[in-house]
Order: sequence, then C-alpha cells, then structure tokens
Amino acid sequence: MRLKIIRRKETRIVNVILLYVIGIAVSFVLGGIFLSSLGINPVVYYRDMLTIGLIGNYYPAKSIEGLLKLFVPLLITSLALSLAFKMKFWNIGGEGEFITGAIFASWVAFKLGDSMPRIVVILLMCIAAFISAGLIGFITAHLKVKFNTNETLVTLMLNYIMLYVIKYIGETKADWNFFLRTDSERPVFARFPENAVMQGITIGNFKLLYSVLASIAIAVIVYFYLKRTKQGYEIAVVGDSVNTARYAGMNVYKITVRTIFLSAALIGLAGAFAAATSGTISTDITNNVGWTGVIVAWLSRLSVPVIGVVSLLISVLQYGCQAASASYSQIDHNFADLMQGLFMFSILAAGFFSHFKIVRTGGKNDD
Amino acid sequence: MAATDYAIEFRDISKSFGSVAANKNINLNLKKGEILALLGENGSGKTTLMNMLSGIYTPDSGSIFVDGKKVVISSPDDAGKLGIGMVHQHFKLIEKFTAADNIWIGKKGSGLVLKKDRYKQIEQIASKFGFELDPYKVVANMSVSEKQTLEIIKVLCYGAKVIILDEPTAVLTVQETKKLFDVCRKMKESGHSIIIITHKLNEVMEISDRVAVLRKGEYIDTVESATTSELKLTELMVGRKVDLKIERAVMEKTKPLLEVRDLSVNSDEGSLAVDNMSFYIRGGEILGVAGIAGSGQKELCEAITGLRKVNSGKIVHKGVNLVGKSAKKISAAGIAMSFIPEDRLGMGLAPSLSVSDNIILKDYSDTKGIFVDRKKAKQEATDIVKMLEIATPSIETPVRRLSGGNVQKVLLGREIKANPNVLITAYPVRGLDINSSYMIYNILNEQKKKGVGILFIGEDLDVMLALCDKIMVMCHGKLQGVVHADRTTKEQIGLMMTGAISLAEVGGKKAGIAKDSAFTEEEWEEATDMSEGSNET
Amino acid sequence: MIEVLTLFLFNIVIYSIPLLYATCGEIIVEKSGSLNLGVEGTMAVGAVFGFLAGCRADSLPVALLVSFAASALVGAIFCIFTISLQANQNVTGLTITTIGVAVYFFVGNGLGANWPVYRDCTRLVAGVSDLNIPLLSKIPVIGKAFFSHNILVYLAVIIAVLVWVYFEKTSFGLRLRAIGENPGAADSLGVNIVLYKYLHIMAGSGIMGIGGLYMGLNMGGTFEGSNCWINGYGWIAIALVIFANWSTMHAILGTFVFGFFNTLRIYNMPLATTFPKTMGWLSSVPAQVFSALPFIVTLLVLVISSIKSRKSGRSNAPTAIGVNYYREDR
Repeated sequence: MRLKIIRRKETRIVNVILLYVIGIAVSFVLGGIFLSSLGINPVVYYRDMLTIGLIGNYYPAKSIEGLLKLFVPLLITSLALSLAFKMKFWNIGGEGEFITGAIFASWVAFKLGDSMPRIVVILLMCIAAFISAGLIGFITAHLKVKFNTNETLVTLMLNYIMLYVIKYIGETKADWNFFLRTDSERPVFARFPENAVMQGITIGNFKLLYSVLASIAIAVIVYFYLKRTKQGYEIAVVGDSVNTARYAGMNVYKITVRTIFLSAALIGLAGAFAAATSGTISTDITNNVGWTGVIVAWLSRLSVPVIGVVSLLISVLQYGCQAASASYSQIDHNFADLMQGLFMFSILAAGFFSHFKIVRTGGKNDD
Repeated sequence: MAATDYAIEFRDISKSFGSVAANKNINLNLKKGEILALLGENGSGKTTLMNMLSGIYTPDSGSIFVDGKKVVISSPDDAGKLGIGMVHQHFKLIEKFTAADNIWIGKKGSGLVLKKDRYKQIEQIASKFGFELDPYKVVANMSVSEKQTLEIIKVLCYGAKVIILDEPTAVLTVQETKKLFDVCRKMKESGHSIIIITHKLNEVMEISDRVAVLRKGEYIDTVESATTSELKLTELMVGRKVDLKIERAVMEKTKPLLEVRDLSVNSDEGSLAVDNMSFYIRGGEILGVAGIAGSGQKELCEAITGLRKVNSGKIVHKGVNLVGKSAKKISAAGIAMSFIPEDRLGMGLAPSLSVSDNIILKDYSDTKGIFVDRKKAKQEATDIVKMLEIATPSIETPVRRLSGGNVQKVLLGREIKANPNVLITAYPVRGLDINSSYMIYNILNEQKKKGVGILFIGEDLDVMLALCDKIMVMCHGKLQGVVHADRTTKEQIGLMMTGAISLAEVGGKKAGIAKDSAFTEEEWEEATDMSEGSNET
Repeated sequence: MIEVLTLFLFNIVIYSIPLLYATCGEIIVEKSGSLNLGVEGTMAVGAVFGFLAGCRADSLPVALLVSFAASALVGAIFCIFTISLQANQNVTGLTITTIGVAVYFFVGNGLGANWPVYRDCTRLVAGVSDLNIPLLSKIPVIGKAFFSHNILVYLAVIIAVLVWVYFEKTSFGLRLRAIGENPGAADSLGVNIVLYKYLHIMAGSGIMGIGGLYMGLNMGGTFEGSNCWINGYGWIAIALVIFANWSTMHAILGTFVFGFFNTLRIYNMPLATTFPKTMGWLSSVPAQVFSALPFIVTLLVLVISSIKSRKSGRSNAPTAIGVNYYREDR
C-alpha cells in the first residue's frame, strides 16, 4: 500500500472555508505555544492584541488613527501586487517601488510645497510618485517580456538599490540636499511644508485622513477594473493562458507592460500617501509593506474584497502587537511577523488540501 | 506452445479512460529476435498499449507475459528490470548534459565518484551495440537523429532486451531513417526484440518481420511482412467502410470562398511543416483534411488564421489576400477557427474563466467604452448553452470544470456565434462519446447549409467520408490530392495518407486549383508581389 | 601603509565569508531546481540557535552542529511546502524569511537580560580565534590577509570546494543537477526526486545556518532589539548565486568581490589618506554606493545574461528552477 497525491476534480467552497478556519485556528494555537514559552498568557495577550489597546484607553481615536496609518499603505500595496500576480508576474519589488514613490513625492513637496495651494501640491506629489514608480514596473515588465529576464530577482535587486538611494539622501549632508533639515548638524529629514501634508475630516477628536478615503476608493476602482473593464478582462485571459490571449488577438506585450506599470505605480502612490501623511520621509518609511503585501495578496487568493478584509486584519495584528508590547517587555512588534508567517503557512497547507487529496493505493489499480 | 518463443505476450488486455475504451481485449505477441511493426491510425490505441508495457499505465484487465512468465508492470522501473525499454516520441534528455552523462544518471551501481573513464565506458558500450557515439557531445548541440540514437543507446545500456520505438521516423529525414533501420537490424542480430510503432507502410514493409494491426482500440490481425502488400495492410488498418448515417446535404455550387495557393509554413522547430500546398473551399461545402497526426494540420490552421508566419504563398479570401494580416483582421473578415490542440484547453479557451467570459473572448473589444458588456455576454452564453445543449451548472462555471464534449461545444458555439463564412475546425469530436459527436456533426451541417465554407480536420475516415463533400489528404506537409467523398474509398485515402500514392498532379494538372477562381492568373501574379512585399516588412 | 593594505584585505575576507556560506547553500538548493527566497530567515534561525547552544555548551562544534541542524529544519519546512504540498516557491520563501527573522527577535527579546555574554564563553571564543597556517601565514601582506583567519573562514572555502567537487565529480551531484534541469527525465530514469530534493535543500539550508552563526559571532554575539545579525546578507547571497553563475568556485571569487565593495565602504577613508594620489577619489564616493554596488552589479549581470542567453540559448541557470514537479502533470 502506498500513499498517493491526486488532484481533486472539484473544490467545494464549504470545505475550503473549513480548511481555512482550521488553518487560522492552528496558527493561533502555535502562536499561543510560543507565547506560553515566554510565560505570557496567550488568551490575555490575544485579547490585548485584537482590541489594539482600545480597552481602558483614554484616547481611542488615536489608536484608530494609528491603525489606519498601517492599513492604507498595506491595502494599496496588496491590491497593486495582486494585479501583477494575476498575470503570474512576480513583482516582489514593492519595497523599492514604495520608496521610489515616497522620494519623488517628497521632491515635489520640498520644491513646490511653499508656492502652490495644498490640493495642487498633494496632487502633484501623487502624480510624481505614480509615474516614477510606474517606470520601474515598466522596465521590469519590458525586460521580462522581451528577454525573459527573471522579474523576481530584478525587482528584488531594485528593492535594495532604492533602499540605499533613500539612505544616501537621508545620510548625506550637502548643499544640494533639500531633503534634509538645514538647522541640524546631523543629517535629519526635514518636515514638508504645511501645504504638502495630508489633511482629513475631523470628527470629534478623530481625524479621518483623505488618504484613507482615497485608498478605499482605489480598492473599489481596482475591483471594478478587474471585474468589469476590458483591460481587467485582458489581465484575466493573459494570466490564465498566454496562448489563448494571442489566439484572441491580444497584444500580450502591451497588456503585461501596462498592468505592471499600474501595479508599480499604485505602490508608488502608497508611498506618496505615507510620506504626505507623516509629513516627512524616513529610511524605514515602507514598514516592510512590500513584503507583507505579498503575503496579504496571496492569503486573499488575489480577491479584492478579501484583500480589504485581510489587510485590515493584518493591520490590527501589527498595531495590536505594537500596542501590546508596551505591557510585555519580553516581546515586541516582530511577533506580528511571526503570526503572519504562521497564517501564511496554514493557508498554504489549507490551499493544498483544497486542491489535492491523499489517497491510499494498492500500487496496482491507478492509472 | 513453447512459452519461450515469445518475448512478450498480451492476453486480453483492456484499458479505458473514463467512458472511452482505448484498448479492448488485445491479444498480441512479440517473438524473440524479431522486428514487429505496430500499425494503426491515430487513436487506434497503439501508444496506450505500449505505455502499459513500459509501466506508465496499468491495464484494467488481462495479463502480460514476459518470457512466458506472467508479470505485473506498475512503473517504468519495473519495466526496466524486466528488460523492456521504450524510446518515447518526446525525448527525455537533459539538454545541457553530455551524451555520456545522460546515460550515466540512470546507470545502476555507477559508484560515488564520477570518473573520467565513464566517457570511455559509455563509448565502449555504445560500440558494443554497434553505435558510434561521441560521449562528450552536449545534447543541446545534437541533431534530432543523434538525440534519438542516444535514447536508443540509453535503453540498451540499461539492459533492455525488448525495445519499443514510438514513431521513431516521424522526425527523421530519409537518410536518417535508413540509418535507424540499419541500427534496428543490428539490434535484431544481437538478439533484441523490437516493436516499432508507425503509420508509414513503405517503412513497415522494409523493416519489419511481422505486422500487427490495431483499429479503434481492437486487435485486428498479425501478418507476415514478406507475404503481404501495402494494399492489404491499408485494408486491415482502415477496415471496411461503416455507414454512419450522417446526413450530407447537397448544396448548390458557389464560387470559391477561400483559396490557398503554394502555401509554405514553418513549424515551431523551424522545419517546413506545410510544403507548397494549394486548395480551395467553396461556400456550403465541407472540405475534410485527412492525414497522419503531425502532417502539418496545426500549422495550416494557424497560418490561415494569421497566428503563424507564412513563408510564401497566398491565402485569398473573397478576393483579398490575407497573408500578412493580423489575426484580429482575419477574424473580422469572417474566418473563424475552433482548434482543439492535444492539450485541449491550451489554446482557444481560458480554462479558469467562466463559460460566458470565454464566449466573448474574440469580440469583447468590439463594444464601445472601457467596460466589457457582460449583459450581452450572458445573453449570448445562455443562448449558446441552450442551442447546443451544453451541460454546465451555470454560465458562470469555469470551463475547466466542464467535460470534454461540453468544452468543444463552448468553443464551437463561440466561433459560430460570430456568423463566420469560413469555419476551420480541428478534431472537434476528439474524446467525445457518440451522442456528443453527432451533435457536433449536426452543428457543422447547419453551418454548411447557411453557406459557410468549412475546413474539417479529422481523424476518423468513416466520419469524414460520410460528412465531408471533398477530402484533401496531407502527408508530411504536402498535398497528396483532393478526392470527392462519394467517389473514393477508405483504402485510397489510407494509401494517400501514408504517401503510397499521390494524386497531387493528375494529367499535368495540379490539384487544389479552382477553375472558377476569384482571381485571374494575372491577379494571382500581382498578389504574389504583394505578399512577398509584405513579408519583408 | 602596508598595514592599511593588509588590514583591508583581511577585512574583505571577513566580510565575504558569511556570504560564501549562504551562497554555497543557495547554489545547492537552486541546483535541485528550487528557488528559495528564504535565505535571510534560514540564516537568522541558524544564527540564533547555534549561538545560544554554543554559548550554553561553551563549544564551537556544538554551535556549528546546532546552527546547521536548526537551519536544515527550516529547509525541511521549505521542502514540505514546496515539494510535498506543491505550494508556490516564492511565497514559501518569503514566508520563511518573515518567520525566521521574527523567530530571531522572538528568542532574543524573550531571553532579554538572560542573553548569554559571548566573551564569557572562553572555549567558544578560543574556538574561533585566528589560526596561522604554517609557512603561508609568513608571507608578507598576503600571509596576514589570507592565511591567518579563524577556522570558520577555512571551513567556508573547504565547503565551497567540496560542493564543487560533489557536483562535478560524483554521481549524486550529477543526478541532482539532472533533477534541476529536467525532473521528468530524471524521474523516468528512476532517480528518487523527492528524496534527493529534501536531502539537498536541507543540507544547503544547514550551510546557510553556519553563515548566520558566523555573522553573529562576528558581531560579538550581542542581541540588538532593532537590527538582525543577518542584515540583508541573505538577499545578497541570492544575488551572488547569479553573479557566480551557479558555481561554488566562482562564488569564492564572487563573494570576495562583494566583500571588497563592503570593505571599501568602511575603509575608503584610510585608503584615501594612505594612498592620496591613487585612491584619494575614494573619499568622495558615498558609502551607500558601495552598499548598493552588489545589487547594481547583480542587476546588470541578470539583464545582460538574459539578453545574451536569449541570443545564444545558453545559461548556467538550472532550467527547471522555480517550477514544482508533479508527476501526473507530465
């Protein structure tokens, strides 16, 4: 008797959901074991984490604002990455594209922030970020389609190159460097002019930033773009079968380059939002969103509504771990990464069991 | 019966895939030290039978005897241990490795250290079997024939006594084929038994001692090559004509709709796949294309629909030369293709997309605005599902979940929907049961009655004789002639398919040229200039 | 003057060695046809557990063994997901990096004040003190620069050479390369693909772990809450595999070049002041340029080689890399 893996002919949605629930439960249990090993009561910790420190907090509005600051870039980046992944294009260059967008947005902020009205400045920042990051996407897509250059590795390298570019800007005191404060001996990023800072609607003591509204609008647009437009349809066909796309007379080069431009450009836009929200840039402005975005997109199986939910949950996880680490000295925000990893593995395993099943064979009657 | 006379015996072997029976109660044997040719049309079950011998499939019922002993072969490894080796049509070689290393990987007891003398060893083994082999040559730099030789040496090195060659000559030139046959004879002399799968009658007569014939999954007979003839073998292979009761509407003759002249097209590998072919289709006519699989049918389809570059020649549709035009333009001119390649879903359909999304694949961009008109798509999909009785849970179901027949119907339905005037369809009933097949024939007949010209690339000669008005036969990318379905026999077509006879030129007149062409000869000349001009750009 | 040059060369070696471990490990993994993006995380796990165990036992062999074993275990996780469960290799690799680095911080933060003090582990420290190779170390400049290092440096070079020998000169290596090139062909010849891949990916991951341990020891074994010991070297290793064209012998040279860039970043000032005429310009090159150079160079190598291989159809990269093998899909 042998064990054999065979592909399931059909996947029932109930089974898939069940498998996912089991996977997430297993992650929490594993995380609980980790926590217990440090002498932390997992139930209490999870409660503190999932309520992001809202309980007994005098300023709950601040917690929500902090949570949304994590949520906006993560949502946009995950959506953008899912565009690329739908075409089986491995854009893992979220970090680099994010930084590119942030740099060019702050360029605009410093140069034009004082001389133009707020709405124009912010808009120009977004456009600069969109185009600059998009160009990176354009180049990788062009190389991929024309020369079959491995896009995973190209985007990976670009992540680090852009990281050192922003480090160079942030650590170099020089006359040309308008990114830095002039009144400081040490190199420190300057604050944007007031007109380049993201504003919002104030509700009581809670400030709902326009970037939050914009990110939700982007999610809706991406949803309809993929579901309803011809370009979205083309992405689906090319991602499914390049041969069929050619047979239908589609221009695969154009579709790939356009989609990857858009993917990278949106991530750049997320970078602009992040810069405008904090009113400055920093070398760790990405908050690893390029990596986390990959995990979110994949966890959500590239479905836009699910990405919305999962981004929010991962933001809760991250912000909650930050908040909880205030009361537990043994543990810091990296625990969020650990949990993310556990979720990812559980979902990967669940994905396998929803597509395959393991059967026993006598070694004879299989075909 | 002395059990030791036979190297291999099949007894009552049956194998089905789903509802399709690939082999039915096959009884066949291979004598020691003989060359047995296994003859049969496409889909007659030759490869399935051989895959059971080489351990890729296991039979549903029946038994296999090796050297008179009953055996169970459940993996290629088992087959190897029994001394059975198969040279597949698609070589299993590692391109970057040298010849010697490709053999060395699978050699048992080759030791830990990779010594330089392995090259010598392999060379010696090869020469022992009578092969000259450059052990240092990298596979990527080899010709097809060299690769095949390497595969054969590989099989011999692992100690095979019974060697199966799956259509070995399909990829070889005449000279290379001659060399291969010398090799086979040499192997035979050294006591090996060989099964060679082939369609080519002249080769069968030349190389084999006996010929076993399969037809539609059944074993027909084994005959001595010396006492048979090509005609006799063709009869065995194609069988007597079966009356299929497929309606063939007689339509009034119209002018040629699509005319192809002197068309030459390359295959993916860069060799000539369609060689200087001329033919034409009239409106309201089904032109069948008969030929052994891989004779250039796929390339022909792709050339007409603008998916493959044309080397030379003209494709004239309603007086317009299509050569150099994009697939989109050609499709807009009313030429539709439903082409089911071997992997069925690889081209023509997007398997993960829904039925309705697949229906609009070709005309999604025709509507105004940036949005896909899903309302129209759903309407059309519902209509097609209803009209062709497609069994699907809903029009939102991904096509990959549908059964083969329904996938074919989706594909055909989409092509018909566009109201084409030329419909190209390849193997539309492959893998379908009888009822679904008749459904497809009816659809094609209805199109024909509407005045559509249909190019039907088929496999089953009985079906083609019943359904088609004319049948054009291809062999190695060349036109072997065009015959009227009601004035020909299966034997004649069979002989043309295998290249035994050619009616490409009868009485100095080239076949496939319409007398009432849409172009005058001068216009053809002009079109030549045009197409050559456009080819350069 | 000579001292500066010697120290410069000496430090190149110091910086390049962890990369050599990681690159050799990843080459083994990639030769089997898998692209593991989890090098960073694999190294982090090996580093932290190897270091802790080494300090506990106060023994270098224990540290080595545990770092190898811990990382091999991470490699096994990669195998379970990508080989047995057919999960996407990129996603699995990224997750391993996320989780591996998180485990590093989890353990470090969890131990807090209980984190061992490296310099108190006298035998472990002694284990990695510099060894002078007889005769060779007496050669001026070169002797001190190349033949007076700790044992882990020599071990890395030995591993690189052995891996090369394994691939080029043994039947097992040949079969592994065959799997990376064409798993279908290897399968048809009776090579046990699953077993081969598991063993080699685990071994490769284990070697990465030793590289991680080396980095930890080099940093004096202190845990910092904000920075991981590995500090992006895992990603450089993935780049280096391409730069070294999947050969561990080239990797020795390649890591030296990358170590050279890294050392320049730190030694550009001493070099510029010692050799003002020839190397004075170094002082004006920003440090970040040296840091980014490995990635820029790899990017160029990647692009140029893909354009070239498009033309010639030849590359040393394993043909089947990144694609999961499932027999029924043949």
